[in-house]
Amino acid sequence: MKGRLILIAGALAACALAADPALVARGEKEEARSCVACHSLRIVHSQRLSKAAWGRELDKMAGWGTKVDDRDALVEYLAANFGDDKPPQPAVLTQDGTQQKK
Amino acid sequence: MAPNRREIFAAFLAAAAARRLAGAEDEVTVAGKRSLIWHNDRPEDLETPLRYFDTWATPVDAFYVRQHIPRPAPIDGGAYRLVVNGLVSKPVTLTLADLQRLPQQTIPATLECAGNGRAFFRPQVPGIQWSRGAVGNAEWSGPRVADVLALAGADPAAAFLEIDGADTGVGGTPDFIRSMAMKKALDPSTVLALRMNGQPIPDIHGFPARLIVPGWCGSSFVKWVTRLSPAAARHNGFFMNPAYRFPKTAVPPGGAAAAADLEPIEGMPVKSTITVPEDQATLALGPQVIRGFAWAGEEAIERVEVSTDGGSRWSDAELSPQKLRFAWRLWQLRWQPANAGYYSILSRATDSAGRVQPVVPLWNPSGYLYNAIDRVGVKVEKKS
Repeated sequence: MKGRLILIAGALAACALAADPALVARGEKEEARSCVACHSLRIVHSQRLSKAAWGRELDKMAGWGTKVDDRDALVEYLAANFGDDKPPQPAVLTQDGTQQKK
Repeated sequence: MAPNRREIFAAFLAAAAARRLAGAEDEVTVAGKRSLIWHNDRPEDLETPLRYFDTWATPVDAFYVRQHIPRPAPIDGGAYRLVVNGLVSKPVTLTLADLQRLPQQTIPATLECAGNGRAFFRPQVPGIQWSRGAVGNAEWSGPRVADVLALAGADPAAAFLEIDGADTGVGGTPDFIRSMAMKKALDPSTVLALRMNGQPIPDIHGFPARLIVPGWCGSSFVKWVTRLSPAAARHNGFFMNPAYRFPKTAVPPGGAAAAADLEPIEGMPVKSTITVPEDQATLALGPQVIRGFAWAGEEAIERVEVSTDGGSRWSDAELSPQKLRFAWRLWQLRWQPANAGYYSILSRATDSAGRVQPVVPLWNPSGYLYNAIDRVGVKVEKKS
Protein backbone atom coordinates (compact mmCIF):
# COMPACT_ATOMS: atom_id res chain seq x y z
CA MET A 1 0.00 0.00 0.00
CA LYS A 2 2.68 2.43 1.05
CA GLY A 3 4.76 1.51 -2.01
CA ARG A 4 1.79 2.14 -4.31
CA LEU A 5 1.20 5.57 -2.77
CA ILE A 6 4.82 6.51 -3.38
CA LEU A 7 4.48 5.34 -6.99
CA ILE A 8 1.38 7.47 -7.50
CA ALA A 9 3.05 10.46 -5.87
CA GLY A 10 6.07 9.93 -8.12
CA ALA A 11 3.92 9.77 -11.24
CA LEU A 12 2.15 12.99 -10.26
CA ALA A 13 5.48 14.72 -9.67
CA ALA A 14 6.71 13.57 -13.09
CA CYS A 15 3.55 15.01 -14.70
CA ALA A 16 4.12 18.30 -12.94
CA LEU A 17 7.74 18.40 -14.16
CA ALA A 18 7.02 17.53 -17.79
CA ALA A 19 6.14 20.65 -19.77
CA ASP A 20 2.79 20.78 -21.54
CA PRO A 21 3.67 20.41 -25.27
CA ALA A 22 0.88 22.75 -26.37
CA LEU A 23 2.09 25.44 -23.97
CA VAL A 24 5.68 24.97 -25.16
CA ALA A 25 4.59 25.27 -28.81
CA ARG A 26 2.76 28.50 -28.00
CA GLY A 27 5.89 29.73 -26.23
CA GLU A 28 7.98 29.14 -29.34
CA LYS A 29 5.58 31.26 -31.39
CA GLU A 30 5.66 33.97 -28.73
CA GLU A 31 9.47 33.99 -28.90
CA ALA A 32 9.40 34.43 -32.68
CA ARG A 33 6.92 37.27 -32.27
CA SER A 34 8.34 39.25 -29.40
CA CYS A 35 12.13 38.66 -29.22
CA VAL A 36 13.47 39.00 -32.77
CA ALA A 37 12.70 42.68 -33.26
CA CYS A 38 15.73 43.63 -31.15
CA HIS A 39 18.15 40.70 -31.34
CA SER A 40 18.83 37.34 -32.94
CA LEU A 41 17.62 34.21 -31.18
CA ARG A 42 21.09 32.72 -30.91
CA ILE A 43 21.84 34.89 -27.87
CA VAL A 44 18.78 33.33 -26.23
CA HIS A 45 19.34 29.74 -27.31
CA SER A 46 22.98 29.66 -26.18
CA GLN A 47 22.03 30.25 -22.54
CA ARG A 48 21.03 27.58 -20.01
CA LEU A 49 18.94 29.02 -17.19
CA SER A 50 16.45 27.90 -14.58
CA LYS A 51 12.78 28.75 -15.08
CA ALA A 52 13.07 31.47 -12.43
CA ALA A 53 16.11 32.97 -14.16
CA TRP A 54 14.31 32.94 -17.56
CA GLY A 55 11.44 34.76 -15.85
CA ARG A 56 13.84 37.45 -14.62
CA GLU A 57 15.25 37.85 -18.14
CA LEU A 58 11.71 38.43 -19.47
CA ASP A 59 11.11 41.00 -16.72
CA LYS A 60 14.27 42.83 -17.83
CA MET A 61 13.09 42.84 -21.46
CA ALA A 62 9.60 43.99 -20.42
CA GLY A 63 11.26 46.89 -18.60
CA TRP A 64 12.76 47.90 -21.96
CA GLY A 65 9.38 47.91 -23.66
CA THR A 66 9.05 44.36 -25.01
CA LYS A 67 5.36 43.37 -25.16
CA VAL A 68 5.06 39.67 -24.33
CA ASP A 69 1.43 38.52 -24.56
CA ASP A 70 1.91 34.86 -23.70
CA ARG A 71 4.48 35.12 -20.92
CA ASP A 72 3.72 31.81 -19.18
CA ALA A 73 4.06 29.94 -22.46
CA LEU A 74 7.33 31.68 -23.30
CA VAL A 75 8.86 30.88 -19.90
CA GLU A 76 7.73 27.28 -20.25
CA TYR A 77 9.24 27.00 -23.74
CA LEU A 78 12.57 28.53 -22.64
CA ALA A 79 12.87 26.34 -19.53
CA ALA A 80 11.91 23.20 -21.50
CA ASN A 81 14.47 23.78 -24.27
CA PHE A 82 17.18 25.93 -22.70
CA GLY A 83 16.95 25.01 -19.02
CA ASP A 84 19.95 24.74 -16.74
CA ASP A 85 19.57 20.94 -16.88
CA LYS A 86 20.45 20.96 -20.60
CA PRO A 87 24.03 20.50 -21.88
CA PRO A 88 25.79 23.69 -23.05
CA GLN A 89 25.35 24.58 -26.69
CA PRO A 90 28.41 23.58 -28.74
CA ALA A 91 30.26 26.50 -30.33
CA VAL A 92 28.95 27.50 -33.76
CA LEU A 93 31.14 29.58 -36.06
CA THR A 94 30.24 32.38 -38.43
CA GLN A 95 31.35 32.09 -42.08
CA ASP A 96 34.62 33.71 -43.19
CA GLY A 97 33.83 37.36 -44.05
CA THR A 98 37.37 38.57 -44.75
CA GLN A 99 36.71 38.81 -48.50
CA GLN A 100 33.74 41.10 -47.87
CA LYS A 101 34.05 44.87 -47.48
CA LYS A 102 33.94 45.94 -43.84
CA MET B 1 20.07 59.51 -48.01
CA ALA B 2 19.28 56.29 -49.89
CA PRO B 3 20.03 53.20 -47.81
CA ASN B 4 23.32 51.60 -48.77
CA ARG B 5 23.70 47.96 -49.71
CA ARG B 6 24.60 46.91 -46.18
CA GLU B 7 21.54 48.59 -44.71
CA ILE B 8 19.32 46.88 -47.27
CA PHE B 9 20.99 43.57 -46.46
CA ALA B 10 20.57 44.14 -42.71
CA ALA B 11 16.87 44.94 -43.20
CA PHE B 12 16.51 41.81 -45.32
CA LEU B 13 18.14 39.70 -42.61
CA ALA B 14 15.91 41.19 -39.91
CA ALA B 15 12.79 40.53 -42.00
CA ALA B 16 13.91 36.98 -42.72
CA ALA B 17 14.51 36.39 -39.02
CA ALA B 18 11.09 37.75 -38.11
CA ARG B 19 9.42 35.51 -40.70
CA ARG B 20 11.06 32.35 -39.52
CA LEU B 21 9.06 30.95 -36.65
CA ALA B 22 11.81 28.66 -35.39
CA GLY B 23 14.14 31.63 -35.38
CA ALA B 24 17.83 30.88 -35.58
CA GLU B 25 19.56 31.26 -38.94
CA ASP B 26 21.79 28.40 -40.01
CA GLU B 27 24.71 30.55 -41.01
CA VAL B 28 25.85 34.11 -40.95
CA THR B 29 28.81 36.04 -42.32
CA VAL B 30 30.19 39.21 -40.74
CA ALA B 31 32.00 41.40 -43.27
CA GLY B 32 35.68 41.92 -42.50
CA LYS B 33 35.77 39.15 -39.89
CA ARG B 34 37.21 35.66 -40.04
CA SER B 35 35.13 32.73 -38.91
CA LEU B 36 34.40 33.56 -35.23
CA ILE B 37 32.34 31.96 -32.46
CA TRP B 38 28.80 33.11 -33.09
CA HIS B 39 26.94 34.26 -29.96
CA ASN B 40 24.72 36.86 -31.61
CA ASP B 41 24.54 38.50 -35.02
CA ARG B 42 21.90 41.20 -34.39
CA PRO B 43 23.80 42.97 -32.91
CA GLU B 44 27.23 41.32 -33.32
CA ASP B 45 28.65 39.39 -30.37
CA LEU B 46 31.52 37.32 -31.71
CA GLU B 47 34.28 35.47 -29.86
CA THR B 48 37.80 34.76 -31.07
CA PRO B 49 38.58 31.02 -31.38
CA LEU B 50 41.79 30.19 -29.50
CA ARG B 51 43.59 29.07 -32.66
CA TYR B 52 43.82 32.69 -33.88
CA PHE B 53 45.76 33.77 -30.79
CA ASP B 54 49.22 33.05 -32.12
CA THR B 55 50.58 36.61 -32.22
CA TRP B 56 51.15 39.35 -29.64
CA ALA B 57 48.89 41.78 -31.52
CA THR B 58 45.51 40.21 -32.25
CA PRO B 59 44.70 40.80 -35.95
CA VAL B 60 41.73 43.11 -36.45
CA ASP B 61 39.88 40.51 -38.54
CA ALA B 62 40.14 38.01 -35.66
CA PHE B 63 39.39 40.47 -32.82
CA TYR B 64 36.30 39.73 -30.72
CA VAL B 65 33.22 41.96 -30.98
CA ARG B 66 30.78 42.92 -28.23
CA GLN B 67 27.87 45.20 -29.21
CA HIS B 68 25.25 46.02 -26.58
CA ILE B 69 22.93 47.69 -29.06
CA PRO B 70 23.00 47.83 -32.86
CA ARG B 71 25.79 49.70 -34.59
CA PRO B 72 24.95 53.27 -35.65
CA ALA B 73 24.64 53.96 -39.38
CA PRO B 74 28.17 53.99 -40.83
CA ILE B 75 29.89 57.27 -39.96
CA ASP B 76 31.45 59.38 -42.70
CA GLY B 77 34.82 60.65 -41.44
CA GLY B 78 34.28 64.05 -43.05
CA ALA B 79 30.89 64.55 -41.40
CA TYR B 80 31.97 63.21 -37.99
CA ARG B 81 31.75 65.61 -35.04
CA LEU B 82 32.83 65.22 -31.41
CA VAL B 83 31.17 67.50 -28.87
CA VAL B 84 32.96 68.36 -25.63
CA ASN B 85 30.47 69.98 -23.26
CA GLY B 86 29.30 69.81 -19.66
CA LEU B 87 31.54 71.23 -16.91
CA VAL B 88 33.89 73.04 -19.30
CA SER B 89 34.78 76.71 -19.72
CA LYS B 90 34.26 76.65 -23.51
CA PRO B 91 32.20 73.86 -25.16
CA VAL B 92 33.76 72.82 -28.47
CA THR B 93 32.79 70.74 -31.49
CA LEU B 94 35.74 68.92 -33.06
CA THR B 95 36.23 67.28 -36.44
CA LEU B 96 38.24 64.15 -37.20
CA ALA B 97 40.94 66.42 -38.65
CA ASP B 98 41.06 68.34 -35.32
CA LEU B 99 41.69 65.05 -33.50
CA GLN B 100 44.32 64.01 -36.05
CA ARG B 101 46.17 67.32 -35.54
CA LEU B 102 46.66 66.71 -31.79
CA PRO B 103 49.80 64.77 -30.73
CA GLN B 104 49.18 61.05 -31.40
CA GLN B 105 50.03 58.43 -28.78
CA THR B 106 50.28 54.70 -29.37
CA ILE B 107 49.22 52.56 -26.40
CA PRO B 108 49.44 48.75 -26.45
CA ALA B 109 46.55 47.46 -24.36
CA THR B 110 44.57 44.30 -23.82
CA LEU B 111 40.83 44.70 -24.24
CA GLU B 112 38.68 42.17 -22.39
CA CYS B 113 34.95 41.89 -21.95
CA ALA B 114 33.93 41.80 -18.28
CA GLY B 115 31.99 38.62 -19.12
CA ASN B 116 34.93 36.71 -20.67
CA GLY B 117 34.74 33.21 -19.13
CA ARG B 118 31.11 33.57 -18.03
CA ALA B 119 30.33 30.12 -19.47
CA PHE B 120 32.53 28.52 -16.79
CA PHE B 121 30.57 29.78 -13.76
CA ARG B 122 28.40 27.25 -11.89
CA PRO B 123 25.57 27.76 -11.29
CA GLN B 124 25.19 29.22 -14.77
CA VAL B 125 24.30 32.90 -15.08
CA PRO B 126 22.46 34.87 -17.75
CA GLY B 127 24.38 36.77 -20.40
CA ILE B 128 26.52 35.91 -23.41
CA GLN B 129 28.19 32.57 -22.76
CA TRP B 130 31.74 33.70 -23.55
CA SER B 131 34.40 31.09 -22.96
CA ARG B 132 38.07 32.19 -23.36
CA GLY B 133 38.04 34.44 -26.41
CA ALA B 134 36.29 37.69 -25.45
CA VAL B 135 39.72 39.27 -25.20
CA GLY B 136 42.37 40.66 -27.56
CA ASN B 137 45.54 42.73 -27.55
CA ALA B 138 46.13 45.68 -29.88
CA GLU B 139 48.08 48.88 -30.39
CA TRP B 140 45.71 51.83 -30.13
CA SER B 141 46.72 55.26 -31.51
CA GLY B 142 45.14 58.65 -31.16
CA PRO B 143 45.13 61.84 -29.08
CA ARG B 144 45.18 61.72 -25.30
CA VAL B 145 41.77 62.36 -23.76
CA ALA B 146 43.53 64.96 -21.56
CA ASP B 147 44.58 66.89 -24.67
CA VAL B 148 41.06 66.74 -26.14
CA LEU B 149 39.50 67.98 -22.88
CA ALA B 150 42.07 70.79 -22.62
CA LEU B 151 40.61 72.31 -25.83
CA ALA B 152 37.36 72.88 -23.92
CA GLY B 153 38.89 73.72 -20.55
CA ALA B 154 37.52 71.05 -18.20
CA ASP B 155 36.41 72.41 -14.82
CA PRO B 156 38.63 71.09 -11.99
CA ALA B 157 35.40 70.37 -10.04
CA ALA B 158 34.47 67.67 -12.56
CA ALA B 159 35.26 64.41 -10.79
CA PHE B 160 33.89 62.28 -13.64
CA LEU B 161 33.89 62.13 -17.41
CA GLU B 162 30.71 60.99 -19.18
CA ILE B 163 31.14 59.38 -22.60
CA ASP B 164 28.49 58.72 -25.25
CA GLY B 165 28.79 57.08 -28.66
CA ALA B 166 26.71 57.38 -31.83
CA ASP B 167 24.82 54.15 -31.09
CA THR B 168 21.37 54.51 -29.53
CA GLY B 169 19.06 51.94 -27.99
CA VAL B 170 16.63 49.86 -30.04
CA GLY B 171 13.00 50.04 -28.87
CA GLY B 172 13.14 50.93 -25.20
CA THR B 173 16.67 49.66 -24.57
CA PRO B 174 18.91 52.22 -22.90
CA ASP B 175 21.56 54.29 -24.67
CA PHE B 176 25.13 53.12 -24.08
CA ILE B 177 26.58 55.88 -21.90
CA ARG B 178 29.54 55.37 -19.57
CA SER B 179 31.31 57.37 -16.87
CA MET B 180 34.78 57.16 -15.42
CA ALA B 181 36.73 58.95 -12.76
CA MET B 182 38.36 62.09 -14.21
CA LYS B 183 41.66 60.95 -12.70
CA LYS B 184 41.68 57.94 -15.06
CA ALA B 185 40.42 60.05 -17.99
CA LEU B 186 43.38 62.42 -17.56
CA ASP B 187 45.92 59.59 -17.27
CA PRO B 188 48.41 60.01 -20.15
CA SER B 189 47.64 56.44 -21.28
CA THR B 190 43.92 57.10 -21.80
CA VAL B 191 43.44 57.92 -25.48
CA LEU B 192 40.73 58.51 -28.03
CA ALA B 193 41.96 55.94 -30.53
CA LEU B 194 41.64 56.66 -34.24
CA ARG B 195 43.74 53.65 -35.25
CA MET B 196 43.87 49.99 -34.22
CA ASN B 197 47.05 48.05 -35.07
CA GLY B 198 48.04 50.86 -37.43
CA GLN B 199 44.87 51.02 -39.51
CA PRO B 200 41.83 53.28 -39.09
CA ILE B 201 39.50 51.62 -36.59
CA PRO B 202 36.96 49.63 -38.61
CA ASP B 203 33.29 50.51 -38.22
CA ILE B 204 32.54 47.36 -36.23
CA HIS B 205 35.11 48.46 -33.60
CA GLY B 206 34.01 52.11 -33.37
CA PHE B 207 35.12 54.19 -36.40
CA PRO B 208 36.31 56.89 -36.30
CA ALA B 209 37.08 57.24 -32.57
CA ARG B 210 37.07 54.74 -29.74
CA LEU B 211 37.87 55.43 -26.12
CA ILE B 212 40.79 53.37 -24.80
CA VAL B 213 40.95 53.07 -21.02
CA PRO B 214 43.97 50.80 -20.54
CA GLY B 215 43.59 48.13 -17.89
CA TRP B 216 39.88 48.71 -17.35
CA CYS B 217 36.96 46.52 -18.27
CA GLY B 218 35.97 46.52 -21.96
CA SER B 219 32.69 48.33 -21.28
CA SER B 220 34.73 51.52 -20.72
CA PHE B 221 36.11 51.33 -24.27
CA VAL B 222 33.18 53.27 -25.79
CA LYS B 223 32.92 53.05 -29.60
CA TRP B 224 31.92 55.75 -32.13
CA VAL B 225 32.53 58.43 -29.45
CA THR B 226 30.51 61.58 -30.20
CA ARG B 227 30.35 63.31 -26.80
CA LEU B 228 32.69 63.85 -23.85
CA SER B 229 31.18 65.65 -20.86
CA PRO B 230 33.07 66.42 -17.66
CA ALA B 231 30.54 66.07 -14.83
CA ALA B 232 30.37 66.39 -11.04
CA ALA B 233 28.73 62.99 -10.53
CA ARG B 234 28.90 59.53 -12.09
CA HIS B 235 26.27 58.87 -14.78
CA ASN B 236 23.66 56.49 -13.39
CA GLY B 237 22.15 54.95 -16.55
CA PHE B 238 21.70 51.21 -17.05
CA PHE B 239 25.21 50.56 -18.40
CA MET B 240 26.72 52.06 -15.22
CA ASN B 241 24.06 50.81 -12.79
CA PRO B 242 23.12 47.98 -12.42
CA ALA B 243 25.21 46.70 -15.38
CA TYR B 244 28.96 46.18 -15.03
CA ARG B 245 28.96 46.10 -11.24
CA PHE B 246 30.63 43.53 -9.02
CA PRO B 247 29.93 42.56 -5.39
CA LYS B 248 32.16 44.39 -2.90
CA THR B 249 32.32 41.23 -0.79
CA ALA B 250 32.01 37.69 -2.09
CA VAL B 251 28.57 36.07 -2.35
CA PRO B 252 27.87 32.32 -2.20
CA PRO B 253 27.50 30.68 -5.64
CA GLY B 254 23.87 31.05 -6.71
CA GLY B 255 23.28 33.81 -4.16
CA ALA B 256 22.13 37.38 -4.65
CA ALA B 257 23.79 40.72 -4.01
CA ALA B 258 21.88 43.82 -2.93
CA ALA B 259 22.31 46.84 -5.21
CA ALA B 260 24.06 48.72 -2.41
CA ASP B 261 26.66 45.94 -2.18
CA LEU B 262 27.75 46.31 -5.83
CA GLU B 263 30.39 48.67 -7.19
CA PRO B 264 31.40 49.61 -10.76
CA ILE B 265 34.06 47.40 -12.34
CA GLU B 266 37.20 49.36 -13.16
CA GLY B 267 40.63 47.70 -13.32
CA MET B 268 40.69 44.06 -14.47
CA PRO B 269 42.12 41.10 -12.55
CA VAL B 270 45.21 38.97 -13.29
CA LYS B 271 44.55 36.11 -15.71
CA SER B 272 46.17 33.61 -18.07
CA THR B 273 44.81 31.54 -20.93
CA ILE B 274 46.20 28.35 -22.46
CA THR B 275 45.94 28.51 -26.26
CA VAL B 276 47.98 25.39 -27.14
CA PRO B 277 47.25 22.54 -26.76
CA GLU B 278 43.51 22.71 -27.24
CA ASP B 279 41.27 21.29 -24.54
CA GLN B 280 40.65 17.55 -25.08
CA ALA B 281 43.26 17.36 -27.88
CA THR B 282 45.10 14.10 -28.58
CA LEU B 283 48.88 14.53 -28.78
CA ALA B 284 51.54 12.13 -30.03
CA LEU B 285 54.03 11.13 -27.33
CA GLY B 286 57.02 13.41 -27.93
CA PRO B 287 58.19 16.99 -27.31
CA GLN B 288 55.38 19.52 -26.88
CA VAL B 289 55.08 23.27 -26.38
CA ILE B 290 52.39 24.60 -24.05
CA ARG B 291 51.63 28.25 -24.71
CA GLY B 292 49.21 31.07 -24.15
CA PHE B 293 48.92 34.66 -22.99
CA ALA B 294 48.57 36.42 -19.63
CA TRP B 295 47.39 39.90 -18.66
CA ALA B 296 46.65 41.87 -15.52
CA GLY B 297 44.49 44.97 -16.02
CA GLU B 298 46.48 48.02 -14.95
CA GLU B 299 49.43 45.92 -13.80
CA ALA B 300 52.11 44.00 -15.72
CA ILE B 301 52.62 40.24 -15.80
CA GLU B 302 55.45 39.13 -13.54
CA ARG B 303 55.29 35.37 -13.80
CA VAL B 304 53.34 32.50 -15.37
CA GLU B 305 53.59 28.99 -13.94
CA VAL B 306 52.40 25.84 -15.64
CA SER B 307 51.52 22.46 -14.20
CA THR B 308 51.08 19.30 -16.26
CA ASP B 309 49.97 17.13 -13.35
CA GLY B 310 46.83 18.88 -12.17
CA GLY B 311 48.64 21.32 -9.91
CA SER B 312 51.03 19.18 -7.85
CA ARG B 313 54.17 20.62 -9.36
CA TRP B 314 54.61 23.93 -11.19
CA SER B 315 57.26 25.18 -13.64
CA ASP B 316 57.96 28.75 -14.68
CA ALA B 317 56.97 29.47 -18.27
CA GLU B 318 59.15 31.58 -20.53
CA LEU B 319 57.63 35.07 -21.03
CA SER B 320 57.74 37.36 -24.07
CA PRO B 321 60.30 40.11 -23.29
CA GLN B 322 58.09 43.24 -23.27
CA LYS B 323 56.82 43.69 -19.73
CA LEU B 324 54.17 46.40 -20.01
CA ARG B 325 51.34 47.58 -17.85
CA PHE B 326 48.02 47.14 -19.71
CA ALA B 327 49.24 44.75 -22.44
CA TRP B 328 49.44 40.98 -22.30
CA ARG B 329 52.57 38.84 -22.40
CA LEU B 330 52.82 35.64 -24.38
CA TRP B 331 54.24 32.64 -22.52
CA GLN B 332 55.39 29.15 -23.35
CA LEU B 333 56.79 26.05 -21.72
CA ARG B 334 58.50 23.11 -23.40
CA TRP B 335 57.05 19.86 -22.18
CA GLN B 336 58.17 16.27 -22.70
CA PRO B 337 55.47 13.95 -21.39
CA ALA B 338 57.16 10.84 -19.94
CA ASN B 339 54.33 8.45 -20.72
CA ALA B 340 51.14 8.09 -22.67
CA GLY B 341 48.01 8.97 -20.70
CA TYR B 342 45.66 11.80 -19.77
CA TYR B 343 47.16 15.06 -18.48
CA SER B 344 45.53 18.06 -16.79
CA ILE B 345 47.49 21.17 -17.77
CA LEU B 346 47.06 24.34 -15.69
CA SER B 347 48.37 27.90 -16.00
CA ARG B 348 48.64 30.44 -13.19
CA ALA B 349 49.72 34.08 -13.60
CA THR B 350 51.15 36.50 -11.03
CA ASP B 351 51.26 40.26 -11.64
CA SER B 352 53.50 43.15 -10.60
CA ALA B 353 51.18 43.95 -7.67
CA GLY B 354 51.53 40.40 -6.36
CA ARG B 355 48.05 39.28 -7.39
CA VAL B 356 47.83 35.58 -8.26
CA GLN B 357 45.03 33.77 -10.12
CA PRO B 358 42.76 31.90 -7.70
CA VAL B 359 41.88 28.21 -7.84
CA VAL B 360 38.18 28.96 -7.29
CA PRO B 361 36.53 31.72 -9.36
CA LEU B 362 34.59 34.46 -7.56
CA TRP B 363 31.03 33.56 -8.52
CA ASN B 364 28.81 36.62 -8.98
CA PRO B 365 25.24 37.02 -10.28
CA SER B 366 26.23 38.60 -13.61
CA GLY B 367 29.17 36.32 -14.31
CA TYR B 368 31.85 39.00 -14.51
CA LEU B 369 35.64 38.81 -14.06
CA TYR B 370 36.17 35.05 -14.29
CA ASN B 371 39.88 34.62 -13.67
CA ALA B 372 40.45 31.20 -12.11
CA ILE B 373 43.59 29.23 -13.04
CA ASP B 374 43.11 28.02 -16.62
CA ARG B 375 42.89 24.31 -17.31
CA VAL B 376 42.90 22.01 -20.32
CA GLY B 377 42.93 18.21 -20.52
CA VAL B 378 44.89 16.32 -23.18
CA LYS B 379 45.38 12.69 -24.12
CA VAL B 380 48.93 11.68 -24.99
CA GLU B 381 49.23 8.57 -27.16
CA LYS B 382 52.24 6.50 -28.24
CA LYS B 383 52.97 6.91 -31.93
CA SER B 384 51.98 3.74 -33.80
